[in-house]
Amino acid sequence: MSKKKTAVFLIVAAAVIAALVVGIVLTDGLYEKAGSVNETMQDAVLHEGDKISFFGLAVNPAVLSAFVVTGILLIFAAIVRIFVIPKFSYIPSKFQLLLEQAVGMFENLAKTNSPHRNNFLGAYLFAAGAYISIGTLFELVGIPWMTAAGASVSLPAPLSDINGAIMMGCLSYLVILSGGILSNGFRGVGRTLKEFSLPISMSFRLFGALLSGLLVTELVYSYLALSFVLPVVVGVLFTILHALIQTYVLTMLTALFYGEVSEPPVLKPKTKKQKKVPSEVTSK
Amino acid sequence: MLYNIAAVPLNIDWQQILLHLLNFVILFAGLYLLLYKPVKAFMQKRREHYEKMDKDAEEQSKKADAARAEYEEKLSSCDREIEEKRAAAKKELDHYEQMRKSAAEEEADAILAEARKKAAEEKRHALRAARREISALVSDATEKLVLKETAQEAYDQFLDAADDKHEEPRA
Repeated sequence: MSKKKTAVFLIVAAAVIAALVVGIVLTDGLYEKAGSVNETMQDAVLHEGDKISFFGLAVNPAVLSAFVVTGILLIFAAIVRIFVIPKFSYIPSKFQLLLEQAVGMFENLAKTNSPHRNNFLGAYLFAAGAYISIGTLFELVGIPWMTAAGASVSLPAPLSDINGAIMMGCLSYLVILSGGILSNGFRGVGRTLKEFSLPISMSFRLFGALLSGLLVTELVYSYLALSFVLPVVVGVLFTILHALIQTYVLTMLTALFYGEVSEPPVLKPKTKKQKKVPSEVTSK
Repeated sequence: MLYNIAAVPLNIDWQQILLHLLNFVILFAGLYLLLYKPVKAFMQKRREHYEKMDKDAEEQSKKADAARAEYEEKLSSCDREIEEKRAAAKKELDHYEQMRKSAAEEEADAILAEARKKAAEEKRHALRAARREISALVSDATEKLVLKETAQEAYDQFLDAADDKHEEPRA
């Protein structure tokens, strides 16, 4: 055996032994819970124990997350508005193409689903889409914050808080209602109220989808042994998928119902009733 | 406190919902003014630019088509004109040819008539000359015949007379 091969063999053997030692050390006390899972889950859902102070108000961490996300998006938009948009050219650069694609996608979504009235809808879908997708991805950053009780908490996705999800669902419903009223007046109100379960379903769909991701992540992180490789798949992949899917679902549903209620009524052509000729006359 | 009164199960909090709403309204207004509207306006401007280009190109194409049609029309009318001129020239040529032919025929007829006239004249002259010659020949022959008969007759008479005289003394 040459010296080179001997060296390689020794390095591989040492690495295997080291890995085994690390494994033995780490598996000591495996599957021990860092805390009660029930408490973790309850905190994740209800945020009873991790309220933070927001301008003197005790709020859920998601409220702060929401404002941080809004701040990030607005700063980004301002930078783009000042430095990028004035340099737009008819032959777009990659970044310009990305921006145009984002705007064009929501504009087209509004136009295709609601051909009669879509100016406001396009803007709303763009804002809602940006908020949901960036807000969901925001939890990947995991900004630590101190709770009112002095504990540390990682800022979650704004919509994983039920209040944020209810706001989004109900606002979408109000937007749909406004489209119905503006297009069809009282008939539009009727059409919108027909879908009375929509705000609840939209809110809880959003909340449930985002919360499930959060719960799975919390569950995984509550066990030491599962927190090495798995979070990469569970946390990142699930979060990205949630961001895309929930953005698509909420914007699509809003556009779809908005288009449905703002569609002008189709007037049926009036058919003239033929006067009945008395049978006596006809028989004669 | 309003916070406690408004709180409902599942930690649904109206105040926080309103905070979320305020946040979203700010986000909506900001994104609309800073990003959505300018990008959409630019896209619209570019769309109009290319539509105008397309329209201009279409107009140019229409103009070119019209010019082509006009040119082809002119070409076809030119062809027609050439054809008409050719037909007129042919007609004129035919007419001229006809005129030439008829003139030639007239000339030929005149020449023929003249020739016939000359031939008739010559025939008449010849006939006259021949008659004169024949009558001369006849008179000559007659004269010769008459003279010949007269000499023979005289010779015969002489001989008869001589015979008579010779016979009478015997008697």
